Amino acid sequence: MLQTPPPSPVSNGVELGSSLKSSSGQAFDRKKRLSFYNRSFKVICIASAIFVCLILFTILFFMGRTGILTFDTVSPFTFFFSSEWAPENDQYGAFIFIFGTFALTFLTMLISVPLSVIIAVFLAEMTPTWLKTMLRPVMDLLVGIPSVVYGFLGMTILIPLLRDLTGTSMGDGLLAAAIVLTIMVLPTISRITDDAIVAVPKKYRDASYALGSTRFQTIVRVVLPAAKSGIMYAVILGMGRAIGETMAVVMVIGNTPQLADELFKPTSVLTSNIVMQISNVPFDSSWNYALYMMGFLLLIISLVMIVLVRLIQRKGVKS
Amino acid sequence: MKSKFFKNIAFTAIALTVAFGSISMANIADAASKLSGKIVINGSSALLPLTLQAANEFKKLNPKVKISASAAGSVTGPQAVRKGIADIGACDWDASLDVPGFKKFDGQVANKVAVIPFAAVTNSNVKVANLSTKQLQDIFSGKVKNWKEVGGSDAEIVVVNRAFGSGTRVNFQMKALDGADFMTKGDNYKEVKSSGDMKTAIETTPNSIGYMDLVYVTSKMTALKINDIAPTEANVINGKYKVWSYGYYMTKGQPTGATKAFIEYVQSKAFQNGSLKKLKFIPISAMKN
Repeated sequence: MLQTPPPSPVSNGVELGSSLKSSSGQAFDRKKRLSFYNRSFKVICIASAIFVCLILFTILFFMGRTGILTFDTVSPFTFFFSSEWAPENDQYGAFIFIFGTFALTFLTMLISVPLSVIIAVFLAEMTPTWLKTMLRPVMDLLVGIPSVVYGFLGMTILIPLLRDLTGTSMGDGLLAAAIVLTIMVLPTISRITDDAIVAVPKKYRDASYALGSTRFQTIVRVVLPAAKSGIMYAVILGMGRAIGETMAVVMVIGNTPQLADELFKPTSVLTSNIVMQISNVPFDSSWNYALYMMGFLLLIISLVMIVLVRLIQRKGVKS
Repeated sequence: MKSKFFKNIAFTAIALTVAFGSISMANIADAASKLSGKIVINGSSALLPLTLQAANEFKKLNPKVKISASAAGSVTGPQAVRKGIADIGACDWDASLDVPGFKKFDGQVANKVAVIPFAAVTNSNVKVANLSTKQLQDIFSGKVKNWKEVGGSDAEIVVVNRAFGSGTRVNFQMKALDGADFMTKGDNYKEVKSSGDMKTAIETTPNSIGYMDLVYVTSKMTALKINDIAPTEANVINGKYKVWSYGYYMTKGQPTGATKAFIEYVQSKAFQNGSLKKLKFIPISAMKN
């Protein structure tokens, strides 16, 4: 990208420049102008690329630098493994939130992955073309719905429904949040899985049918394993979205710092706790730093996931 | 992660404007008739409607004064004043004194600007209309878990609380619970982020109890009598209903210049009995203490 393109016979810079040289003088001839444009365009491209990297590193730096101040007053062991979160009493154990984030993500994936794969199989293998051309845009539109809308519907429709169905007195908790998140990540996962299944060469299916297998056997034993890396990619993208989701979660999870050992117990996760407390926090306090540390943790988790996605993609290309 | 970055930018921007504002204010301070300068207001979101209304009216009277008002949480008000980012920090409690959870801000002056009444509210399915201070303490600390223990039907109490740091929470704890502690965990306990969320939670959750500014109370919920006194404006003014607080403008030392003029405008009879009343706050002059 950064190298100047090889001169083509048609638009050779030297030839163009010399043939169209203006009579008024050397300073602004076409050749120099062209090379000036080319060079400044190159500089702009490089600068933009550097700018993006700079943003990422400043964010990492600021979050990390502020977050690390937590450990001046709170030991890392307490921060990561204590379940006592009470800023009013100077207790900053974030275990509840870390656990909550992973538990919520796990539960969400448990519900959404099988559903999404079934939807994707249906879309890619069984739907007639006219229905396909209708369903795919619908899925794409679903991805674009703002999360606060999901959260609001979750709070006003899903939670009363859960209350009626299960007889609990609140309904807020991990299960409600997981259901809302499932609806959110479902389109993402199933669309990418769909693409992965479509990309499996037709000859695999033909070979499978030729060996006498049924449609079910072909899909489960041949197509899905062949699309494995694409499906993994979809799952990790979905997980990334589930882990970082804030607005939808904060409206249905109950926001109480207690360990989520039941599906219907109000609890809190990293994102929801940050957004609940950040506007009320004194600037230079361990409380503030602890919230930054939690944000930094989220950042690290999502970076790890992106790296995983890259690795899987590379492996997928090789095989 | 973004917020820190933007905060820094915003802080420098505000700091610059404050610096320039104060320079221009110093230049023209002699010409007292034509007030000018820049006032930056930050802090409580409960007081923001009042601040915005007052700012609009004040700017009409003093076109050379620029006022920029924004809101986050109560505690950001006095903090911004301490850091020199804002001239006025709106706060739901007197930040020059210690309150539960927050230390006092030394060297700041609290200027009363409004009276804010609060109400304990329940979902409309709850058959209890009156609670004593003791009963409220027991419910919000988690000791009483069923409505039948306080004269209601046999149903578990769902306690909805504001998150720690909320100005409404500080005031409710001091005035309605006499400083008693809230519960922090439980199967039927949750925290919400704002008065709006509290309203939705109370309206949609059967057997729930919470609290909010009196202006947020709707017909879809019950505002409880506390110690047999109904939460009405009249009862606040005649001193029977105790669960209210002043809203404060915190300043660094005694206010001066445009800031002083603005606070005086907000405290003036014309504003207090006009726009402030329309926004459903109670004028400070109505209180007899």
